[in-house]
Amino acid sequence: MNVREIIGRVLAWRRREELEHDLAADLEAHVEFLARDLEHDGMSRDDALAAARRQVGNVTSYREHSRDYWGFPVLEAVRQDVGYALRGLRRSPGFTATVILTLGLGIGANAAMFAVIDRLMFRPHTYMRDPGTAHRVYLQTTYQGRTSANIVFPYLRYLDLTRASGTVAQFAAISEWRFAVGTGEASRVRKVAGVSASLFDFFDAPPVRGRYFVAAEDSTPVGAMVAVISHAMWVGEFNSADVTGRSLKVGMVDYTIIGVAPPEFVSTVVGMPPDVFVPITTIPANHGLWSQQSYLVNYNWDWTEVLVRRKPGVSAAAVSAELTGAYIRSRAAARALNPRVLPDSLVHPRAIAGPIKQAAGPEAGSESRVLLWVTGVAVIVLLIACANVANLMFVRVIRRRREITVRLALGVSRHRLVAQFVTEALVLALLGCVAGVFVAQWGGAAIRQLLLPQGSAFNLATDWRTLGVALACTVAAAVLTVVGPALVATRTDLAATLKAGAREGTYQRSRMRTGLLVLQGALSVALLVGAGLFIRSFHNARSVPLGYDARPVLEVVVDFRGFKMDSARATDERRKLLAVAQSLPGVAYATRINSRLFGTNTTDLRVPGVDSVERLGRFNFQMVSPDYFRVMQTPILRGRAITADDRGGTPLVAVVSDAMGRALWPGKDPLGQCINVRFTGRANSPACTTVVGIAENTAQQNLVDDPRFMYYLSVEQFFPAELSTLFVRMSTPDAAAQVEGLRRALTRVMPGDGFVVVRPLQVVVDDQSRSWRLGASLFIAFGGLALLVAVVGLYGVVSYNVAQQMHDLGVRIALGARSSDLLGLVMWQALRVAVSGVAIGLALPLVAARWVQPLLFKQSATDPATYAVVGAAMILAALAASAIPARRAMRADPNVALRSD
Amino acid sequence: MTDTRSPLLAGTLDLLILKTLSLGTMHGYGIAQHIRRLSKEALRVEEGSLYPALQRAQVKGWIASESKRSPTGRPARYYKITPAGRRQLAVEEKTFHRSVAATTLVLEGDAS
Repeated sequence: MNVREIIGRVLAWRRREELEHDLAADLEAHVEFLARDLEHDGMSRDDALAAARRQVGNVTSYREHSRDYWGFPVLEAVRQDVGYALRGLRRSPGFTATVILTLGLGIGANAAMFAVIDRLMFRPHTYMRDPGTAHRVYLQTTYQGRTSANIVFPYLRYLDLTRASGTVAQFAAISEWRFAVGTGEASRVRKVAGVSASLFDFFDAPPVRGRYFVAAEDSTPVGAMVAVISHAMWVGEFNSADVTGRSLKVGMVDYTIIGVAPPEFVSTVVGMPPDVFVPITTIPANHGLWSQQSYLVNYNWDWTEVLVRRKPGVSAAAVSAELTGAYIRSRAAARALNPRVLPDSLVHPRAIAGPIKQAAGPEAGSESRVLLWVTGVAVIVLLIACANVANLMFVRVIRRRREITVRLALGVSRHRLVAQFVTEALVLALLGCVAGVFVAQWGGAAIRQLLLPQGSAFNLATDWRTLGVALACTVAAAVLTVVGPALVATRTDLAATLKAGAREGTYQRSRMRTGLLVLQGALSVALLVGAGLFIRSFHNARSVPLGYDARPVLEVVVDFRGFKMDSARATDERRKLLAVAQSLPGVAYATRINSRLFGTNTTDLRVPGVDSVERLGRFNFQMVSPDYFRVMQTPILRGRAITADDRGGTPLVAVVSDAMGRALWPGKDPLGQCINVRFTGRANSPACTTVVGIAENTAQQNLVDDPRFMYYLSVEQFFPAELSTLFVRMSTPDAAAQVEGLRRALTRVMPGDGFVVVRPLQVVVDDQSRSWRLGASLFIAFGGLALLVAVVGLYGVVSYNVAQQMHDLGVRIALGARSSDLLGLVMWQALRVAVSGVAIGLALPLVAARWVQPLLFKQSATDPATYAVVGAAMILAALAASAIPARRAMRADPNVALRSD
Repeated sequence: MTDTRSPLLAGTLDLLILKTLSLGTMHGYGIAQHIRRLSKEALRVEEGSLYPALQRAQVKGWIASESKRSPTGRPARYYKITPAGRRQLAVEEKTFHRSVAATTLVLEGDAS
């Protein structure tokens, strides 16, 4: 069939009614002409017409033949099958609704999960040029058996890495910040991306106004103060006006706007899209003089992410190898500045050119792994849904057995019959797909809120990748659900079925359906075990002794926005802020701190008598003002806390955690011991900072494997003019409700454009147990869904069986069976299925335990209690599902049974 | 009375229709008559084959049609050959002659 013919057929199909009319007219004319000729030969008018009509014959058959050329006969058959299927489905709305809902939930779950993991892991960033050759650089070290990969490095390391130019065509640097943008009322905290000029070359995203900055503007030590704003900000904030040349205050620095990025351009930022792009070498200016002077000199500030583009024909492995060489040389350079950089033989440094999306990279974190598991769970939910639908279809086929047999006997080809079954399954699956997209778009909102960073755009209607996956699920579901029933339907033994009555030949074929039920039960049980394990992990994570109580504490991050102050004024302003916070009604205690929770810092620590402190582990320090231990409710086990007397000019003191004391001075009393703490940029400290107190261990680095080596120093003794974060303990536990009040009260006393950002500290703590909460919520959601589908399926099949057995049951009663016997009979059938399902279902997680274990927290993946509870729950659910049909069985009437034959 | 009419050779209907129309525009009845006349009543085109064949040739783009009044004043659909139809006619004529020649060779051939 060539193109011309296809066009011809399409055109003919579009005017097929007209053509039919033409054909009829043609034939009429033909008869007319023929009759006239016959008249000519001497016939009477009437005879001639009759003869002509006879000769031309049946007009309908001409139309039938011509139809083969108008349009496409194959499509026509499909259309007929679809019409047939739709009519059939409309006749049994209960069946149709159940199937669409079941498949919709299964497909929707998969679409929603795919949409999430695709965004987090796979989909290239918008506008990215040739994503296959672009990589993110991960720097990996293996120290004391623990491998960790970093994505943020010192700027100096970025410069060192750019020497690996043999395999890399292009490097780019990027760093994300949240700065106050704008002045006065219009100022708001926005995401700001400091990027190298080369970053724009990784994208095909020409600016919609103005231009991007060039390498000369991204120069060291300080780049040009030029900014490119996002399309969203341009429209939302500037009403799409001509903004180039306007001034924009970002953080504490004034920039000039030079361009506007195209819509949805985020570079490689995940989550909240950045609103302002500035040269990365202007970022240190926003962090004060110290940063500006040191970022090109020291390796002690990790803030730069690095992207590379491979040269054509070069493998990622080759790039990694060359980068590893550059990384090792960079470490040597760092060691020349600071001899305490550990030797390569101890940390096995390695660079990896990996995926741009961090969630797909080597340091993906347990959250990504949990996500992949949950996606697997979504697939299982779909399988359960398919098993359920296949079961319903079996019942449907069996009900229609006689109809099918008659059609086969009348000569309908089995091929055609199968085509109709497949069409029906496809139609159902497609309707399920539509339902699924709705489920994913609206029902999946909760999942996305849980999983995707805030501000992520999400619209399934335009998301072709997700729609494609939904469609693939649909086709798979159609195939899975139709194969069994279609086989059964077409293998029908004609004669036997035609001879039999309606009742016979129905019950014995339930083995396949029972198998499907057992499968559903097993999969649901496996999912519920997963849910149980995650719930317990989450519970365990929540009940880890933290060593502090964050619930009534608010975190206040203070931004002076570059307000010019000398050191005395800076000290005063910070003391004043603390004093104001302490004096506010509702505030119990307040303290200045150095490290936020789970954002710990280390510095050069030496201990007389200990050879290498580094080799014992990571020692984190915290700078505090006197009320710190009251704010956090961290008990002082021995000695004293830091007090108001520990100020400038007095002997330096430290409080150490119990674990740190035991690690550094095993068997000795840490009180009175001497530690030597050094900070770069500060004149060498006196040799001794004396340990005056021992505090309870606190989880500040992470929840899982924090050795809890913490020491606390006095702000006033070390950096009275710095440290801009406060922890404030409220006297009532509803701290979250007091965020806004505290923010307003403190912002009021800030000098210049300065402001504060307040949030509950508990949010930070909760984030740490996020992956288990995630696992628990999603497993519960999907496990519950699976259980529901399985129980409904069981109910349906038991009810159907009871209905089919009514005759049999009636006979039993007539023979003297008690109704409790019948109850037992039916319940026993359901129970058998449930027990087999539970047995298999409990075996599955046992097999998978090895891989699930690392995702759990202080929880055995083979915990007997969890398995027992889930097993019992499943059996109870099965009994509940069969109770209603069983009661119906008890009412079986022997009269009906006996009279019907 | 013996029927001296022959059935159409398979696949020749298209050829006959195109050949007929290459002489000028005609309506369906005209085409049938023309073939009958030229074949000295030997070939008779069944209406049941003719009209679907006309539809097929139209879909393939070999012929086009329009409604006109016949000389008797009766409206009728007139078919005419298109340039693509002429090309197809040339091809089919060649194929037909080759096929007839080959068949004749076999029928008359003494295995010498």
